[in-house]
Amino acid sequence: MDFSLLYQNNFKMFLPEIFLATSIFILTIHGSFSVSSRHLGFPLLTRSFSKLTILTLLLTYFLSENNSINFMLTYQNTFIFDLLTSYVKEIVLISTIFSLFIFEDSLIRNQINNFEYFILILCAILGLLFLASAYDFLSLYLAIEMQSLCLYVLAASKKNSSFSMDAGIKYFILGSFSSALLLFGISFIYGCTGTTNFENLSILLAETNDSNLFLNSIIEKALLCVGAAFLFKIAAAPFHMWSPDVYEGAPTSSTIIFAIIPKIVLFSIFLRLFQSTFFIFEDTLIFFLIIFSIASVIIGSFVALRQKRIKRLLAYSSISHVGYLLLAFASNSLEATQALFFYLVIYMLTSLSIWSLVLSLNTTKNIQKSKTLVDLSSIAALNPILGFSGMIAFFSLAGVPPLVGFFAKMQIFINALGSSLFFASFIAILSSVISSYYYIRLIKTIYFEKNDDSFFIFPVSKACSLTIGLSTFFLLYLFINPYLLVLVTQKMALCLF
Amino acid sequence: MSFLIQDYFPILCLFFVGCGLSSIILGASYLLGTQKPDTEKMSIYECGFNPYEDSRNKFDVRFYVVGIMFLIFDLEAMFMFPWAVSLSHINSMGFWTMIDFILELIIGFVYVWRIGGLEWE
Repeated sequence: MDFSLLYQNNFKMFLPEIFLATSIFILTIHGSFSVSSRHLGFPLLTRSFSKLTILTLLLTYFLSENNSINFMLTYQNTFIFDLLTSYVKEIVLISTIFSLFIFEDSLIRNQINNFEYFILILCAILGLLFLASAYDFLSLYLAIEMQSLCLYVLAASKKNSSFSMDAGIKYFILGSFSSALLLFGISFIYGCTGTTNFENLSILLAETNDSNLFLNSIIEKALLCVGAAFLFKIAAAPFHMWSPDVYEGAPTSSTIIFAIIPKIVLFSIFLRLFQSTFFIFEDTLIFFLIIFSIASVIIGSFVALRQKRIKRLLAYSSISHVGYLLLAFASNSLEATQALFFYLVIYMLTSLSIWSLVLSLNTTKNIQKSKTLVDLSSIAALNPILGFSGMIAFFSLAGVPPLVGFFAKMQIFINALGSSLFFASFIAILSSVISSYYYIRLIKTIYFEKNDDSFFIFPVSKACSLTIGLSTFFLLYLFINPYLLVLVTQKMALCLF
Repeated sequence: MSFLIQDYFPILCLFFVGCGLSSIILGASYLLGTQKPDTEKMSIYECGFNPYEDSRNKFDVRFYVVGIMFLIFDLEAMFMFPWAVSLSHINSMGFWTMIDFILELIIGFVYVWRIGGLEWE
C-alpha cells in the first residue's frame, strides 16, 4: 500500500497550516541571519517583517479559501474540517491581518524591535488554526497550549517595562493554572470512557442506562473543569481577574491580538464540544453558563463605570460582551448559535475600529504614556472624522438602533427569550442599559469636553484610517443589509446541529 | 497476578539492585574515605550562586538560559529513543514525522546560535 496516497487528502486539508508553518521556519532563519549580520549593519526588521507577516497571512487566507472539501476527518479523527472551521479560520486570518496593519507604527513608537514578535504572532495564529479544527482532546489541549504560550510571551514583549513583565507573568501563572484544570478534566473524561475523541465520546454517551449513571456523574464534574478552563480563556466573570491587568500592562499591540482574535476560535471549539459531543449534559451546562453569563454581564457593566484608563475600560467592556455571548451559548438553539457568531463578528469589527482609535490618540503630551479617558477629550474638534467614527463604534457597542450592534444584541435577547431564559435576559438587558452609560460618557468626552492643555495631535497613520473607515462603513452598512453575514453565520451554526 | 509478576519482575530486580548498589557506593565512600570539610569544599559548585538566599538579591539569568537550552536539546532524546527502537514497526509516516521534528529542532538551534543565545558574554 502506498502511504503517500493514503495521506494525500490530509495534506490537502492541512495545506494552509503547512504553508504557515513552513513560512514561520523560513522567516525565523531569515530574521536570525539578517539581524545578527555585521555585513548588513545589524538592521531593525520591524517594517519588513510586518509586511512579510501580512503577506504570509494573506497567502494562508487564500489557501484556506481555496479548500474544495466540505467535510472531512483526518489524522485518526483528531482533526475535523467543515464549513465552521473554514469560516472561523478565514475570520481569524483577516482580523489578524488588519490588527497587524494598525499596530505597525505603534511597535516602532514603543521600540519593540524584535523580529521574534512577528514570529510569535504567526505561531499563535498557527495554534489557533489547529484549535479551530481540533476534534480530539489531545489536539485541543496542544493547540490551546501553543497559542497561549505565544500570547504569554507577547504580553511580556516590552522588555524594559515592568508593567509588561508583570502582565506576562500574571497571564502565564493564571493561564497555566487554567490549562492544568483543563487537563484534569480531560484525564477524568479519559478515565471514565477510555477515549479522548469527540466523535467516540458522543457515541458512547448517547446511550444512557442505569449502569453508567455513576460514570456520567463523574464526567459531568470533569466537564465543569473543562468549562472553567474555557471561561478563563475567554475571561468570563468569576475567572476574569487576569484580563484587566494583562490588557493594561501589555503593550497595546499585544493587547489588540488577545482582545480581538482568540475569542471566536475558543467559542467555536467549545460550542462544538458542548453542543454536539456532550449534549446529554446540557441541563447542567446551561445552568452554569447562565450563572457565569449573569456574573460577567453584571461585573463587566458595574466595574467599568469606575475605570479611568481606556485599556482597562475596554477589558471590562469585553467581559460584559462575553456575558452576552454566554447568554446566547446557554440558549442552545440554532438561531441562538447563529446570533452568537453574528455578535462575535460584529464585536471583532467594532473592536478593530476602537483599538485603531486608541492607537491614533497620540499627542505630543501623552505619546509614551498609557492612555486615559482624558486623552479622548476634544478629539472631535481636532480630528472630526476620527471623532465621528469613534462615536459610531461606541454607539454600536452600546447597542443603539441605527447600527449593527443593536441588531446583534437584539438577536441574542430574542433567542434567549425564545429559550425561556427570562430572568437571565432581564438581568442582561438591565446591565446593557447600565453599560451604555459609560459608552455614552466616552462619546460625551469625545464631543463635549474641552482639553485646556496645549498640544499637537500626531496624524493618524494610513493603515489605521483605512481600518477605521472600513469598519465604520460596515457598522453602518450591515444594519441596512446584514444578509451576507447572516448567511455565513447561519452556515457556521448549522455545522453544530 | 502471574502475568503482573512476569511483566514487572525485571523492574523489581532493577529497583533492588539499584538501591543496593547506590547505598554500597555512598556508604563505602562515607566510611572509608578521609573527611576534611572546609567552606570551599562544602559550597555549591556548577551553578554560580547559592540556591537558598534572600529572594531580593540579584542573580544572573544566564545560568537559567543555559539550563533551558540544555533542557530543550536534551529532551529530544526522550522522543528519539522510543522512535529508534520501534522504527521497524512504524510506517513511512512515522519515519517522516520524526525527520520533520528534527528539522524543526535544527531550525530552533540555528536561531539560538545566530542570535547569540549560546554565548556566555
